Amino acid sequence: MIRQPQAWAPTLFFPLLLAAVYSSQFSKAVSLPEFPYPDVTFLDFILPACVIQGVLFGSTNSATDLAGDIENAFMDRLLSSPVSRSSILIARLTSAFSYGLVQATILILVFFAFGAELSGGIRSALALILITSFLSMGVGSFLIAIALKTGSQEVVNSLFPVIFVFIFISSAFFPVELMDGWYGQIAEWNPLTWIIDWTRVITIEGFSWKVLLQAFSVIALISLAGIATSIRQLKRRLAMAS
Amino acid sequence: MDNPIEAKGLTRVFGDLVAVNSINLSINEGEVFGFLGPNGAGKSTAVRMLTTLLKPSGGSAKVAGYDVASEASMVRKKIGVALQDAAIDPLMTGNELLKLQAVLHGITRQDAKIRCPELLERVGLTAAGDKRVGTYSGGMRRRLDLALSLVHRPKVLFLDEPTTGLDPTSRVALWEEVRTLNKEIGTTVFLTTQYLEEADQLAQRIAIIDNGQIVREGSPAALKSDVGAPTLRVDVVDSDFEIAKQVMTELGEERPARKGRIAIGLTGGTRAITVVLKALEDQNIEVQHVELDEPSLDDVFADATGRRLEGGGDT
Repeated sequence: MIRQPQAWAPTLFFPLLLAAVYSSQFSKAVSLPEFPYPDVTFLDFILPACVIQGVLFGSTNSATDLAGDIENAFMDRLLSSPVSRSSILIARLTSAFSYGLVQATILILVFFAFGAELSGGIRSALALILITSFLSMGVGSFLIAIALKTGSQEVVNSLFPVIFVFIFISSAFFPVELMDGWYGQIAEWNPLTWIIDWTRVITIEGFSWKVLLQAFSVIALISLAGIATSIRQLKRRLAMAS
Repeated sequence: MDNPIEAKGLTRVFGDLVAVNSINLSINEGEVFGFLGPNGAGKSTAVRMLTTLLKPSGGSAKVAGYDVASEASMVRKKIGVALQDAAIDPLMTGNELLKLQAVLHGITRQDAKIRCPELLERVGLTAAGDKRVGTYSGGMRRRLDLALSLVHRPKVLFLDEPTTGLDPTSRVALWEEVRTLNKEIGTTVFLTTQYLEEADQLAQRIAIIDNGQIVREGSPAALKSDVGAPTLRVDVVDSDFEIAKQVMTELGEERPARKGRIAIGLTGGTRAITVVLKALEDQNIEVQHVELDEPSLDDVFADATGRRLEGGGDT
């Protein structure tokens, strides 16, 4: 990580920049009549979304690295050694999780420095960090599947905007209650909206085991689907192995 | 014990393309075996099958006594592999890569501490061990790659085009490395190359592969002598040309030669040179230049495939 700051620094910097822009531009949004949390600052409102956004951007890293390994034949080195096949996948998932953990922690600390508050205290902060890290692994597992299928860093990187769109058509920076028509409709069905809303409950209303479990169960479903897909792609690649 | 590499009817098909077509291999313990062929002949595909990176479409192969398909994980423990595009992370140092490779092969930290400096010294990279690989020259990378493939003291070493793209000096240095390795430790080496000289210099036995099939196999010397007699080329003064040609073609089959030069196939070995020269002397022909060419591996290749592997020489 120290040798390749250009790989991870933007994923930290970018969400912080967006947060700064949004909180100065839209801070009046809190005073809109239908705003669900009229008593909090906009900064508090977007905190969980910004953390999730940062972590999701970072979740491409692990998959990009994997695609790079395939491109430059490091994968061949691994495969021609007695390393177990499953560890290739487990290592990438762990790395996606740890990326998420580090990023979420740093982002939250930065938000604190700018005066954000978490109503549930340390428990809420930990919950937010864990939710986002697992989400990073879940989304990462889909990207890892794509990396295994294509073996191309370019393809993996090109998915960055897709993540961006997912975040934008969600409640990340604007409550769904204030959205109109089809846009609001899609946002309501976006699993990311649910997860963001739940984390918001935890950070604004206070820690709740029930909400945490809700979030975890959705993320677990996403992860299971993603991991199953990557296992299939890994098996395919091993069978083809060229 | 089984031979370190045995293949029977080994085949790999990609769609309509038969990349490797039913090859048989039998490589002896402690041998350097050269697998020679042009680009796209099927060399790398064969190596990928033997190193368990690619499943054979047909036939079978055993490496270090284990089946490459059903006992792949055992094969991987016994082999060292240096593939064509050396997969080396430019951000890591040579030392770090060696340690990583040691981890991949389940070598303990203590053992790796002794083994890594040993290997760096062996390939002459001790001074560069702590430098990032991105700063290495092509030759240094290949030498590091060789060291990496040796971390776990493999019984069989696969080198896929180890010197492609290297300058002549680095190439010779790498050859020397492979030779010592083979001599000192007795590692069996399977080497693919598109360079005739490399096969000639390093391999005790070679197989020539073309279009996925082995077209010749044997020691370089035997293959060359199978192609036929060496070529004797003689330059004489212009006035003697016709008569000299007549004398020489009586003693051997005429071979193509450039203008003003006579070339014949010299049957009866090198001693026949004296016979030819004596016959010319008897006719009072003044010989200006004599040249005897053993058939090269390129001639072997041309004889087997009807094509030249490298740019045709001056005849």
